Amino acid sequence: MAKPDLIDEPPRRDQTIAITVAVAAAYLPLARFMAWQVSAFLALVLVLRFAAARWPAATPGRLTLLTLTLAGGMNCLIANHTLVGKVGGTALLVTMLALKLLELRTRRDHRVVAIVLGLLIVVQFLFDRGLGLTLYLSAVAVSAVALLVDLNGGLGAAPWRRTLGITLRLALQAAPLTLVLFLLFPRLNAPLWSLGFERDTSTIGMSDHLEPGSISELVVNGELAFRARFTGPAPKPSELYWRGLVFWEVDDRRWFSGIGPRHKADPGLAQATDLIDYEVVLEPSQQRWLFALDLPVEHPTDTKLGAGFVLSANAPITTAKRYRARSALSYQTQAPSESERRYALRLPWNVTARMRSLVAEWSRDGATDWDLVQAGLKFFNREAFSYTLLPPPLGANPWDEFLFETRSGFCEHYAGSFAVLMRLAGVPARVVVGYLGGEPNRIGGYHMIWQSSAHAWVEVAIAGRGWVRVDPTSAVAPGRVDNRGASRLLGASAPLRFQIDTAGTMGQAIRQLRNLADSVDAAWQGWVLDFSSEQQNRLLEGLGLRAYGELALALIMMTSLALVMGLILLALLRQTQPQDPVTRSYALFCRRLARIGLTRAPGEGPADFTRRVAAARPDLAVAVRRILALYLRCRYMAKHTTADGERLAQGVRAFRPKAARQRQQ
Amino acid sequence: MKGSLPTTIHPHQANLTEQVLAAAGAIILGKEHALRLALACLLARGHLLIEDLPGVGKTTLAHLLARLLGLQYSRIQFTSDLLPADVIGVSVYERDNERFRFHPGPVFSQLVLADEINRATPKAQSALLEAMEERQVTVDGETRPLPEPFFVIATQNPSYQIGTYPLPESQLDRFLMRIRLGYPPAAQEKILLAGEDRRAMVERQPAILTAADLARLQGLVCEVAATAPIIDYCLAILQFTRRSERFVHGLSPRAGVALLRASKAWALLAGRTYAIPEDVQAVVPACCIHRLVAGDAAGRLDHDEVAALILAAVPVP
Repeated sequence: MAKPDLIDEPPRRDQTIAITVAVAAAYLPLARFMAWQVSAFLALVLVLRFAAARWPAATPGRLTLLTLTLAGGMNCLIANHTLVGKVGGTALLVTMLALKLLELRTRRDHRVVAIVLGLLIVVQFLFDRGLGLTLYLSAVAVSAVALLVDLNGGLGAAPWRRTLGITLRLALQAAPLTLVLFLLFPRLNAPLWSLGFERDTSTIGMSDHLEPGSISELVVNGELAFRARFTGPAPKPSELYWRGLVFWEVDDRRWFSGIGPRHKADPGLAQATDLIDYEVVLEPSQQRWLFALDLPVEHPTDTKLGAGFVLSANAPITTAKRYRARSALSYQTQAPSESERRYALRLPWNVTARMRSLVAEWSRDGATDWDLVQAGLKFFNREAFSYTLLPPPLGANPWDEFLFETRSGFCEHYAGSFAVLMRLAGVPARVVVGYLGGEPNRIGGYHMIWQSSAHAWVEVAIAGRGWVRVDPTSAVAPGRVDNRGASRLLGASAPLRFQIDTAGTMGQAIRQLRNLADSVDAAWQGWVLDFSSEQQNRLLEGLGLRAYGELALALIMMTSLALVMGLILLALLRQTQPQDPVTRSYALFCRRLARIGLTRAPGEGPADFTRRVAAARPDLAVAVRRILALYLRCRYMAKHTTADGERLAQGVRAFRPKAARQRQQ
Repeated sequence: MKGSLPTTIHPHQANLTEQVLAAAGAIILGKEHALRLALACLLARGHLLIEDLPGVGKTTLAHLLARLLGLQYSRIQFTSDLLPADVIGVSVYERDNERFRFHPGPVFSQLVLADEINRATPKAQSALLEAMEERQVTVDGETRPLPEPFFVIATQNPSYQIGTYPLPESQLDRFLMRIRLGYPPAAQEKILLAGEDRRAMVERQPAILTAADLARLQGLVCEVAATAPIIDYCLAILQFTRRSERFVHGLSPRAGVALLRASKAWALLAGRTYAIPEDVQAVVPACCIHRLVAGDAAGRLDHDEVAALILAAVPVP
């Protein structure tokens, strides 16, 4: 009635500062995705805001605000050339939210900012959904809610402990609702990019061609490519050739897929032994291709096995993809088809005379194809080839320059030029790119395959053996391998894995810590981010409602929401009961009677209730009268002993009435 | 019950009130609850208003209570030509002594029956009602105290009868309780018709309480414990009537005091030294409803129904 309406109360200065800080904190992780102009504009507004908080006279007037608004809009347009879409829209949101900060006159304004702040937090998950960011943004969201609580509270500053307590209680109450929505809210099967988002993301990881430098870029990349979990014991690291793409075509400086020959099923592989089952969780790559251990024999139905045993998905991988596959570690493929042979013998136009003479040297004396392969490998081993992540730049003809002049390079140099040499010698060859090895994460029980494990190797077709894997990089003499190039290249910003000496105790500890962090991240990925319509369907199947599809999902969601809300309400109502032990005992007494159908009306006094219970259930009369006497004495007599309270509590605890029907039987 | 505190009053007192009620019940048949309320009202030092049709035993009840409690009794029949002096008394010039002498009116009695109070004009009504509130009378500049104890039992005809001046709310508030008698149940009415004349029985009825007994019982009412839950309950009832849209005005603080006092008296009559929610509930219809001005919604309801409505809406703490 006389409760003061606080909406138009002037806010306190610390509230203004807190909300400003919260906006800045919420923007911080978004900055890396925004154009610098947007960040600069926000910074400008923040400076103005703090100035206005310090010197109220400096609060910008109407005209300044109008100018700033126009400038902010223009700024967004200039930075992104659009005001819609993921980046454009977010930039506009940030700009407008920032401008609202200059307009904080009433508590209402603060509340608006705190609520829009929630939108800013949600929008960020369009950009990044990592666990770290989620935790950080949760903290920001908690502060925003705490601010709202404070804004809705009295005029004085409430103790922060109480405000935080209310906030956490709200969060706790929201948790079951969140869970219901998470489990049951129908997932969009169409990826977000069909709504116009995501269009501007570039591909991540491996590229669709191989040229000197394309893999060494990856090798200094500290990101994870995928995780793999083997059903049985893991194979040796040297056997972990993760097959990605196969390149058939070569031009003057690069290898690429081209159209490639048609795929032909290989029935011989069905007899392969040494099979291994595993599950892969691929990080989003924006590309279609998937990675499978050499050589995939079984793959999920929603994937396709193409020429050269290349596994690919039906659509670009925009969210983490989980799939199971089976591979044969030792295998023999059938001989290449005629079209495969044709493709695998094409030469680049820039083959030089010294390349030809080199190969001609090996093919004397009627050498077999396999002899030629061995000769090629020997060549890399004997000559002064060195392995480095910092190869010298190559000129117009990289194949020739690498083989005869620079002689230092990386797997892409070796694989690319080796395949060219093999084709020159008449041995069908193709280049395979993928990842080699994997770092076991003992905490998570899976292998982590990093982008830096990207690798390229060669497959040659040998008569009677089919396609055979040859890794020319491994032919380089071990003494000439320089693995430290990358960390020199990157200096202090090198990914951790290049800086630590894994042999030392410290290195071991850091490695363990990283494994732990990655397994937490994998769990986040597996349990939260990957929860898709597939899992929902499995859930429905378990409930026997699969046939009803999304309608059932929506209905279950509504029902569960109503149920959860009802339970929370009930808990809240129950909470309003005082904590006095006598009242508590009596409340328990009433609950137990309510369970057998004797509910006390809110306006019914204890004696009347007892009389009614005794009349309805004469068998309980003695017990309820005894409890009534104790209760009346404890609650309504001016002086009573604590012994009475204990006797009441005992009496109520021992009072367990059975329903009437059971009694009659 | 060794070592524990007494939960009931002394048997002697309990007996006394039970004897009073038993004797009253033998004369006024089938009205135990009304009799108990009336006794509780007197023990709580409150005035009683009986509202009912003529002939249901209002006067008999008042007279009977006076006999049982051993009180000096007078009766004022209120009529439309009744003057305040007829109630309070008048100063008459005595030629022998050459001075005015005050002849006290019927109000100077321990128990005054104001019969058909709403037949008199407001002027005469207020003479009595002021005496009730002040427990003293001022005539010709001289204040004269009324006897102790002092009770007024007023009877009132239902206000829709012709020739009535309904008591204003402010005056109604001065009665601790308003009760109704109603017709007796058929079985009791049969006994009534077959039996002896009630007036004669009342005349024969000896006093059961002495003045000292009455004073002690009244003292005990004050000592009845009303713990925080009971106070909260009374408060919740007051708050409810003030918040509810059914009533034009809620209960006054005076009504709250009256409710609590009546509840304690009711507890005493039940033989307890502490009040429980049922005591409050028992006296709400008599204590509260006549003080409430019902809005449209409750206007057509009987006052027991209004009471039931309030009690159902206010949870027992």
